[in-house]
Parts: sequence; structure tokens; C-alpha cells
Amino acid sequence: MAKSVDVQHVSKRYKLYKKRSERILDLIIPAKEYGEEFFALRNISFQVDEGAIVGLIGINGSGKSTLANIIAGVIPATSGKVVSKGNVALIAVNAGLDNKLTGRENIELKLLMLGFSKQEIEEMEEEIIEFAEIEKFIDQPVKTYSSGMKSRLGFSISVRVDPDILIIDEALSVGDKAFAEKSLNKMMEFKEKGKTMFFVSHSISQMRKFCDEIAWLEFGTLKEYGNADIILEEYEKFLEEYKGMSKKEKTTYRYEVLQKHASEREKIL
Amino acid sequence: MNSMMKIIREQLRYFYLVRRLSVYELRSLTSGNYLGMAWEIINPAIQITIYWFVFGFGIRQREPIGDIPYLQWMLAGILVWFFITQAVMKGSKSIYSKIKMLAKMNFPMSVIPGYVIFAQFYPHLVILGLGMVFLQFIGYPVSIYYIQLPLYMLSLLAFLFSLVLITSTLTTIVRDVQMLLQSIMRMLLYLSPILWPPTLLPETWQPYMKLNPFYYIIEGYRYSLLGEGWYFLENPVYTAYFAGVILLTFFIGSYLHIKFRNQFIDFL
Repeated sequence: MAKSVDVQHVSKRYKLYKKRSERILDLIIPAKEYGEEFFALRNISFQVDEGAIVGLIGINGSGKSTLANIIAGVIPATSGKVVSKGNVALIAVNAGLDNKLTGRENIELKLLMLGFSKQEIEEMEEEIIEFAEIEKFIDQPVKTYSSGMKSRLGFSISVRVDPDILIIDEALSVGDKAFAEKSLNKMMEFKEKGKTMFFVSHSISQMRKFCDEIAWLEFGTLKEYGNADIILEEYEKFLEEYKGMSKKEKTTYRYEVLQKHASEREKIL
Repeated sequence: MNSMMKIIREQLRYFYLVRRLSVYELRSLTSGNYLGMAWEIINPAIQITIYWFVFGFGIRQREPIGDIPYLQWMLAGILVWFFITQAVMKGSKSIYSKIKMLAKMNFPMSVIPGYVIFAQFYPHLVILGLGMVFLQFIGYPVSIYYIQLPLYMLSLLAFLFSLVLITSTLTTIVRDVQMLLQSIMRMLLYLSPILWPPTLLPETWQPYMKLNPFYYIIEGYRYSLLGEGWYFLENPVYTAYFAGVILLTFFIGSYLHIKFRNQFIDFL
């Protein structure tokens, strides 16, 4: 089967500066290194088949959202690259709406920015409004919306745009059950059309229902990638264990994981 | 050089988008107020009145400037200043304030300062139109000199865009630049020929005042609106200097913009 998304050795490095001046010095004097490095992602590689639904799991701070954002092309990777076939849409809770504009204006604005013509926008607008179930609020400024309404609007726009690859970052957890159901149906529809999807969520049950494959991230490294059922089971077991750990044990655990990763890398190199 | 060509190509290719997006930008800016866009006119009108009262009526004791009454003289210069400050201030923060919303869109980043400046251009045209109508009734009717106005307008747009390419990059990296800019713009209001004529200064000082590129634009507008002559022809050296400043600013601006634009999102 054709590869839809190819993640190649992606790392994301952030720099933590103790002082604000360090940040500027780091820019001005490239020869000298300032600040402490922090890797949000370390050397992540995997390939996703066309039409697969991939869940990204991991405890808080494991780099799920960072990875989702890099695949979506919102933030650049420090090294490595992501090759994807077709256009990618990211749906996040904060879907990037202009609070001062009305829902309708936001739809127009978003579609405009995605490169649709005036006529296409007019055609799509009504469908989006209907799907989002915003009703009479559609001509009110978005700042008056509840968080559920905002994410519904964001979701509706993104699915109507009909992307080849869809990344959903916790966006479904805010809507009510009825809308979640509707969204899941929509996503099933996408699945049948053979679209590739990424799914970032803490809900294991949703993942189980929906995902074919799972990428399990741990402290910025890819712990495992493979069949959803198997990995989800392992993950649940791990969560139980991890919950029981004391703070000190957690730190030690983290250190061990990173050590192991570093030595594995050395072996390859 | 390459980055300059790249930015020019992007602007030409996405000009349609710049125009459309600027309309939404304008709506977004004025949506919260009851009077909406009317503020774009009320605000300048209040400022003009107070400046006239303080500088023309009070300090200058209704003394004309040369043979031009103070109000007319000031009006012809200040109309464009409103556009300049708004475009510089809003343009400079355009990238860091919009990038979150705009990340992952199908257009190049240089469109952002472009459309934010353009959004300020519509109110400018309206204010300019009203100013022209007003000037009809106070002794300065339409003249042949109006036809040089588009020249200053276009070159001002080019200069503002180039300048904002620099400032928007700098403010994204170091937020303090925005505060600095605010002070500089306030200072420039008094250092440009808007509220008082720099010709009052000693002869030796005057060339330094002219280093400020806005000086050229403001005088150009004034010559057009008041029918004083062909500014760009009468001051060929200054025109060449201004063109040079635009080029240099654009060179630096496009270089900085292209160099940093992939990292902008990391600076938030």
C-alpha cells in the first residue's frame, strides 16, 4: 500500500533560557551556544499507510501535540522531515478563529485563506453552518461562543475542506455526545474514502474504537508503533504502573528511558 | 537580492488575497464599537481639531505659514500621517499577533504584513477624500497638482511595506521593539513637517530633518493638495534619496523576513 505520511528522523529542539538576555545573545552570536537544550521530540521515524487511522498516545508532555503540529506543518522540525501526500488539515480545540468576527465571517476568512474562490466559499458556507449546528449564533461574534461551539465550528470547516490528511488534536473531547457521535460518523466516512487520519486523545476507548495503528510517545521518543489493540493494552498496563510510581521513581524512569534511547541511537550511528 | 525577488513575486501572486483579507481585518478591528468604522474618521477629526487649537490658535496665534493659513497647511500634512502611524504600529505586530491563527495556511507569510497595511489604506482613502472636500470650501480647490498624488501614495505603500517587513520581524523576536516603535512614531510626529514648519529651524539643521523619509511623503501630499507645485520634480535629489531609502529598507526587510520566517512560530 502507498505511504501517505512518512515521518523521517524528526526531532524538535527548544531552548530554555535562564535570562531573557540569553535569548537575544543566542540570536546575535551564533558561534556561541546559550541556553539549555530541551528536546520535545527525539529522532521519531514511522510511516503511515494511506487510509490508516493513527492514534498518538502518551502521558502529558510526551510530545503528542508537538508531533501533530509538525505533521500538520504548523511548526517546523529542528531536524528530519515529514513527507506527506496531499494537503493536511489540523483540527485543534483552539482552532484559530478570530474572536471579534462572527462565525460566518470566520468561515469565509478561513476558506479564503485556504485558497478557495468567492463562489466556492458561498457554496460551502451553508453546509458548514448546518453541520456545526451553531444556528442563530452564526452571525454573532465568536467571542460569545462556548468552547464547544468554537470547536464544532473549527471541526466543521476542516472536514468540509475535504483534506487528504486530517489531524485531530483533542478537538472532539469538548463537544457534547451528540456532536461527538456525528463527528465520529463523519470520520468513519473519511476512513471509507481512504483518507489518512491522526488522532490525539487521552480517551483510550475512543482510540480503540477508531484507530488502526498507534504511535506511543514517551518523553519525546517513539516507544512503539504498531497495531492498535496490542499497543493500547500495553499502554493501559503501563498507565496503571506509572500511576503507582512515586515522584522519584518517575524521574528515574524518565532518565532510564532517555539513556536507553541515547544508547540505541549510538548503536545505529 | 533573491529574497527581494521572492517577496515581490509573492505579493504579486497573492495580491487578490491581500485585498480580500484586508477587508476582514478592517471588520475585525472595528466590530466591537457601536459606531464601527465611523471611528476611523471621528478619531482623526478630534485630533485635527485639538492640534489646530493648540498649535494654530494658541501657540502660533493664527499666524499663517508662508501664505497658507495654519489649518489648511496642517490638514494637508496630517491626513497621511494617520495612515503612516496606523500602518506602522498595526503592521509591526501583525506577525506575532496573527501567526497563531494563520499558521498552516496556503499562502506565504509576507502576505500578513501586506494585508494588515492594506486594511489601513481604505480608511486613509476615505479620510483623504473628506479632507479634499473640506479643502474645497476653505480656499484650496482641486488642481492639476492632484495628479501627482498617486505617486506619493504608491511609494508610501512600498516604503511602509518594506519598513514593516523589518519591524514585524524584530517585534516577533523581541516584543520590546513594539514599545520602542510607539515612542519613535510619537517622536516623528513632532519631527516631521506636520504640526510646525521645520523651515523655522536654522538653515544648517534643515537637511538633517529631511533624512526622515516621511518628510518627503508629507511634503509631497501637501504640494499636491494645496497645489504648491510638483514636489518630486522640484526636488530631484531628495526624490532620488527617498527612492534609495525605499530600496535599502526593502532589501533589509526582505532579507530579515525570509531569514526568520520559518522560525517565527517558535518565538511565541
